Amino acid sequence: MTKIILAVLALVAAPLLGALITGVDRRITAWLQSRYGPPILQPIYDVLKLLGKEPMVTNTWQAVCAYVYIVGAALSVVLLFTGSDLLLIFFVLTVGAVFLVMGALASPSPYSQIGGQRELLQMLAYEPLLILVFAAIAMVTGSFKVSAVYELSRPLLYDLPLMYIVLGYALTIKLRKSPFDISASAHAHQELVRGVYTEYSGPFLAMIEIAHWYEVILVLGLCALFWSTSVVGMVVLVAVTYLAEIIVDNVTARLTWRFMLKSAVGMGLALTVVNMLWLYAQ
Amino acid sequence: MLGNLINQGRIKSPWVVHFDCGSCNGCDIEVLACLTPIYDIERFGILNIGNPKHADVLLVTGTVNQRNKHVLKNIYDQMPGPKAVIAIGACGCTGGVFREAYNVVGGVDKVIPVDVYVPGCPARPEVIIDGVVAALEKVKTLLGMTA
Amino acid sequence: MLDTLVFVTVLLPFLVAAVLLVLREQNLRKVILVATAGVLALASLAMLRGGAFIMSPAPLYDSLITLGDFVILFVVLFVGMKRKNQIIIWLTAAQIIALIWLDFFTLKEHGSVPAFFADDLSLVMVLVISIVGSLIAVYGIGYMKEHEEHLHLTKSKQPQFFFFIVLFLGAMNGLVLANNLLWMYFFWECTTLCSFMLIGHDGTEIARKNAERALWMNVLGGTAFLFGIILLQKIVGTLSLQDILARGPQFAVAGGAILVPMFLLVFAGMTKAAQAPFQSWLTGAMVAPTPVSALLHSSTMVKAGVYIIVRLAPVYAGTYFSNFVALFGAFVFLATACLAAGQSNGKKILAYSTISNLALIIACAGINTPAAITAAIMLILFHAISKALMFLCVGAIEQKIGSRDIEDMRGLFAVMPRTALVAIIGIMTMMLPPFGMLMAKWMAIESAQGQFLLMIMLALGSGVTVLFWCRWAGLMLGTPVAKGRPEAQDITVRAPLYILAGLAMVVSFFSPVVYNTLVAPVVAMYYKTVPYTLPYGNFDSKMGIFLVYPLFILLGLGLFFALRQARKVTAAQCSQPYMCGEQLTVDGKPGFLGPLNQYVPATAGNYYLAQFFGEEMLSRWINVIALAVLVIMLFGGAL
Repeated sequence: MTKIILAVLALVAAPLLGALITGVDRRITAWLQSRYGPPILQPIYDVLKLLGKEPMVTNTWQAVCAYVYIVGAALSVVLLFTGSDLLLIFFVLTVGAVFLVMGALASPSPYSQIGGQRELLQMLAYEPLLILVFAAIAMVTGSFKVSAVYELSRPLLYDLPLMYIVLGYALTIKLRKSPFDISASAHAHQELVRGVYTEYSGPFLAMIEIAHWYEVILVLGLCALFWSTSVVGMVVLVAVTYLAEIIVDNVTARLTWRFMLKSAVGMGLALTVVNMLWLYAQ
Repeated sequence: MLGNLINQGRIKSPWVVHFDCGSCNGCDIEVLACLTPIYDIERFGILNIGNPKHADVLLVTGTVNQRNKHVLKNIYDQMPGPKAVIAIGACGCTGGVFREAYNVVGGVDKVIPVDVYVPGCPARPEVIIDGVVAALEKVKTLLGMTA
Repeated sequence: MLDTLVFVTVLLPFLVAAVLLVLREQNLRKVILVATAGVLALASLAMLRGGAFIMSPAPLYDSLITLGDFVILFVVLFVGMKRKNQIIIWLTAAQIIALIWLDFFTLKEHGSVPAFFADDLSLVMVLVISIVGSLIAVYGIGYMKEHEEHLHLTKSKQPQFFFFIVLFLGAMNGLVLANNLLWMYFFWECTTLCSFMLIGHDGTEIARKNAERALWMNVLGGTAFLFGIILLQKIVGTLSLQDILARGPQFAVAGGAILVPMFLLVFAGMTKAAQAPFQSWLTGAMVAPTPVSALLHSSTMVKAGVYIIVRLAPVYAGTYFSNFVALFGAFVFLATACLAAGQSNGKKILAYSTISNLALIIACAGINTPAAITAAIMLILFHAISKALMFLCVGAIEQKIGSRDIEDMRGLFAVMPRTALVAIIGIMTMMLPPFGMLMAKWMAIESAQGQFLLMIMLALGSGVTVLFWCRWAGLMLGTPVAKGRPEAQDITVRAPLYILAGLAMVVSFFSPVVYNTLVAPVVAMYYKTVPYTLPYGNFDSKMGIFLVYPLFILLGLGLFFALRQARKVTAAQCSQPYMCGEQLTVDGKPGFLGPLNQYVPATAGNYYLAQFFGEEMLSRWINVIALAVLVIMLFGGAL
């Protein structure tokens, strides 16, 4: 029963919280750029407006893809909140991502095509990292279940400090933050028009925005796992991490996908190996 | 209720796409100036989005000529409604000093319906922002949000 | 009853094949093929219902098998001499001498070993071979008709083609049901010969060359197999697979001498499953007509290789050798996934992805825990269905558009909406939850937990897998708004496509049932525990939980809702793709309005990342590393 309540909570509260966090993000970004910035509720206004726009597609499959994308994102958050399996969450997240790319590739527009290809490269960069992080968590807890993390007596961060950096690397890519906003940016920064989002518009773009809120919550939820022993610890860790992401976003310029791929796989593997050796040595 | 909320959103989140229709770049610089910290149009939820399929407001600078008139039309057609058009600068409004040239069609309104005209050569950022706000007022009236 | 079933699944195909060889009447052939397919499928289901069994046919058959062995070997020797291939000649000669020695001088127990024995693993294999294989054979009817029309053949070569196809099915059924290793060897060599003949079927220069390569690699495997069973006979003292499975583990613990024949048998399996460094025969095999590729890749041939490795897994469980097998499998999984990502040839992508998935099965066999073996069996089952489907789709597409390059499949949905949709379903079942392939991969990754090197390779490999599947599915959808008319297709082509697509989804939906009735009993028999419990049909263990039905229901509802929303989009709401406002569409092909008002078509291409995934460069390194691992496996594992 509690699981169902948690699931509903995740379904309803997560996007609202995600919207607020995105709003705060825009505010802090503006502040870092000596601007005033939009109201905190701006992301919600944006989505409301998009919902009210006339639907327009180049191919009806795009509509399907946009809706499946949000279902995948929402479902992965539900799975996280109900303490399911980490790998399963990851695979469900992949469903959404795959459909997003398929929708982009469904349009013959070159911008959307390159955006889709780059999104695939981003997935190629962050997916192995996420699996490695989950595997490392499973090394410590002995299980891939999220619930097992909450049974630990001390935070994961003590055992897996380097894996947290790997996670951060993957999340920068997943959250579409600079320097890795290669296929599209979460903000209205232009690269290849809007990359993988180019051909989604109106209500379909609104779905993608909402899915992005879900993903923000998922990502932060994963971060929170590293300080599972206390609520205060969780909040502090998540806040610090997100602030760091915003600062990185603002002080770095966009890099090429070659750099992203090489650095993500190279650095991710190196840090993982070192962290695992350390874990064995303990 | 949802309709009201959506209308609220429409007013609070006008995303603009800027199309340089053969301007001398004077007005373009001023449009971009609106994004800078001094004017910071993101305060009003305005984003320069660079993609007509995502935009609500089309900002056009410069005169329309025979070569680019269909581009302007295409971009306008690719914006999902509801949408507004703002012609910026003397050239955008009327064709400006070029209006007698052999290849010039004239102002933006020769090709697509224009909602707000922002005069000036170049138009000042304050006036451009004012133009967007005027367009929003017009939208408000259309939506029946003002008495 | 049992006699009849074994007769139908093993011997009947041999007889039908003989009939098809002499029959030149088209329609009758069609009827016979469809009837055989139906009978095979029903027999395999009936056999499944009957459950495990042991059977010894009349002693006469033993002699026939011996005779058959020599016939095949001399045929291969003849081929080797005709082609002047030294490797084939010497390896076959060695096999002939070894077989004479084994058959006439060493073996005293002729006839005393039961020829057939089946547990659930064999039955699953029979099911896969008989149903998926038969569907491919039926598909062959329509495909070969078109194929030969295209080649303008004056004299149809179809009798020969279907002779080998149906023979292949019988041989595979015999192989997986065999208990006597000599019988298994006979069927093993049968499949080698059949694949050689089928790959070379078109008779072109390249087909002959690739067929020859396939032959020498498989003869190498066959030689290893024969020497493996000779050594096994020396060590365990029997050729009965059942006895070896029962008593093998003691030998593995005691001295480890049994690991040498184990290595030879596993090595034979690896050559048959086209693992690096022998992957080139399978990628070369795609010159054959598509039903052959589908048969070789999905339900037969390569599955024989992994079958023997999974079958013997309990014998070498817990040894160093097992760890090396796991390492080898994981490496090849990653390496060939990378190779697949660098390809634009659809069939080659499928070939490399097959090798990659087989390597994953081998890795599971090497990990050798109950969960891993469950994953291996699940992978065998689901991979056969989805991969057969993909091959048949590519075959149908190739006949229509005249290319197997995925770049040419852009916008296929407008040309062949039904086939494109079926292909997309195939791709989804290959890589996404809640379908069986992904679930098996989930099991594999979770069972590799603790072995970090394995984990790293599996993680990287599955990332790459998503890359090449996803872009293929996406670009097939890439059409302008206009919706194409459904394409015309022969019923023998369309029906297998639809049935396989249906199977891929339905069997995934019933995966908990499949696990309970087919997989768990085998695992329990050899490993004494079952890896998963099934609360509400979800796979649960200490390691993790896979929600089958919640995912099916929620994702299914999501898709249903999405489709309904998509249907609301009217033609009026469709716009041109964004081309900076300079778009111009000519003949339904979107493009730009270029300088001087000229039309410039918009073209796009995938990233194939040649600097990372180039075939030439990568293959060399992969072969060297794989060979090194094999050598270390022999010495390190056996010692």
